[in-house]
Amino acid sequence: MSTSQTIFKHIGIVGAGSTGAALAQMAAVAGADVLVYDINDTVLRRAFERIKTDLRRQVQQNVLTADQMSAILGRLRSRTSVADLSPCDLVIEAVVEDLRVKRDLMKHLDANTKPAAVLATASSALSVSAVGSFARFPERIIGMHFFHPIQSSPVVEVARGSRTNDQTVLAATDLVTMLGKRSILVNDSPGFVVNRVSYPYAGESLQIAGERIATPEQIDRIMKVVGGYEAGPFETIDQEGIDTHLAAARGLSDQFFGDSRYRPHPLLQQMVDAGKLGKKSGSGFVTSEANTSPK
Amino acid sequence: MKSKKPEKKPEKQSPKVPGAPRIIIVGEQSMVDEFATVCLKHGYSFQLAYNAPPETRPSFPTFSLKTGTAALRTASVAVELTNTDRVLKQQNLERISKDLAPTAAILSTSVTVSATEQTRWIHGKHRLVGIGYLPGLADAGLLEVAPTVFTPPATLEVVSRFVASIGKAAEIVQDGVGLVFPRVACQMINEAAFAIAEEVAEPKAIDEALMLALRHPRGPVAWAERFGLRQVIAVLEALQREYGGDRYRIAPLLRQMAYAGEWWK
Repeated sequence: MSTSQTIFKHIGIVGAGSTGAALAQMAAVAGADVLVYDINDTVLRRAFERIKTDLRRQVQQNVLTADQMSAILGRLRSRTSVADLSPCDLVIEAVVEDLRVKRDLMKHLDANTKPAAVLATASSALSVSAVGSFARFPERIIGMHFFHPIQSSPVVEVARGSRTNDQTVLAATDLVTMLGKRSILVNDSPGFVVNRVSYPYAGESLQIAGERIATPEQIDRIMKVVGGYEAGPFETIDQEGIDTHLAAARGLSDQFFGDSRYRPHPLLQQMVDAGKLGKKSGSGFVTSEANTSPK
Repeated sequence: MKSKKPEKKPEKQSPKVPGAPRIIIVGEQSMVDEFATVCLKHGYSFQLAYNAPPETRPSFPTFSLKTGTAALRTASVAVELTNTDRVLKQQNLERISKDLAPTAAILSTSVTVSATEQTRWIHGKHRLVGIGYLPGLADAGLLEVAPTVFTPPATLEVVSRFVASIGKAAEIVQDGVGLVFPRVACQMINEAAFAIAEEVAEPKAIDEALMLALRHPRGPVAWAERFGLRQVIAVLEALQREYGGDRYRIAPLLRQMAYAGEWWK
């Protein structure tokens, strides 16, 4: 593939939740005119408030000037109809992780945007090819997996679907560069690279804890001291949310048709059933209460 | 024709520290040398025995397990570091246990054979504990230590004191093949090998992705290079043997690369 320098004048963001708001802010900061679409007015309003609050904080910290903030906000506009996204050169959808919802949305975007526009899904787990399966122009559909915290994470997985063409891949990597991040090119596969290859970090650790070879606290300590990892596997699960981790593990397992390498450990379900969801509930594998870890 | 005089080998300086207990370190050369370097740094005197004739001239004094009974009799700790050859590991432990003092401790890697299983091979089962060790982990500030059902508190005390004296914390875990770090790390390497074989991404991209997205200190490809593929396969084979099923099925690419003698370049 040759290199290109696509210019994105208009970028569309669909879904104004926390991921959508962060993407919109980054694109506006990078100089694009951004149209943010959500079916829910309240969600849209909240997203803009969140962006304003964050930009104001940056002004207070002298990261931005007040003029720069005004210019960025001037480049952001809210929209409540998909048809309004027609001028966009690239649209990223960041709606709920539900294949049916994303597939329907992609169909609408496909019908309401110019054929040359790139359509990206920000899904962290769903197949790019499946999301774009009903599109008239599936060659322009691509996956862009952003990592949390979205604004400061230095990398984006750019996932090529089975029908994505080279031009779309180049455009997506150009956007990643424009956002000041690095692209990792991957082929469409369950969990892409990061979620799949890192899966044993938590999955095998859960297996070891389940066999009572070591406690979650010990496993975290061993992985940090011997391996040099910044956070232990159980700290990571607690931070992510045990229910969220279980849902992601289930998704990966389903996509691999139940392959035992990806089977979620029953400990996850036990913790969820007990209402121990990690940091957000104040109790998890290594969070807070002394009696939360399996002994 | 003049016969060439054999070159006189310079006497190797045994790194002796008066009064320090003697350590015997036996096994695969790369791990033995690494472990010896750590012991030297902490003032121990030691003698080494390699599983195979060394490829390079050893930097430390060596002895043969077959004849070196004196070295064994005076040692207070023996360390056995063989992961890839079960038969050789058994022979080493049999020889060590025969001549080692009853009060001495044996620290033996238990990432491919459980410590409990190893006690079947030796005299004085009470002396042996398992440790989690792979090549490249010499500088880690922690050593996984796995006592067996035969390990009395006295042995554990000797082991803990020794581990602390070489600058590491002893983390006491239950005995089980692979222990913790080697098991988790080798499974990540295996998963990366499957992903590479399926052309999900290039090896370099996999490491970069994990390091940048999750702030891992190094990726699975780099871990595999550090440990060596034979070690990784030995751990995974042991897990497969122990647990059965598909969970520890080894990626065919991993074996192919091991046969080829190198990790993906």
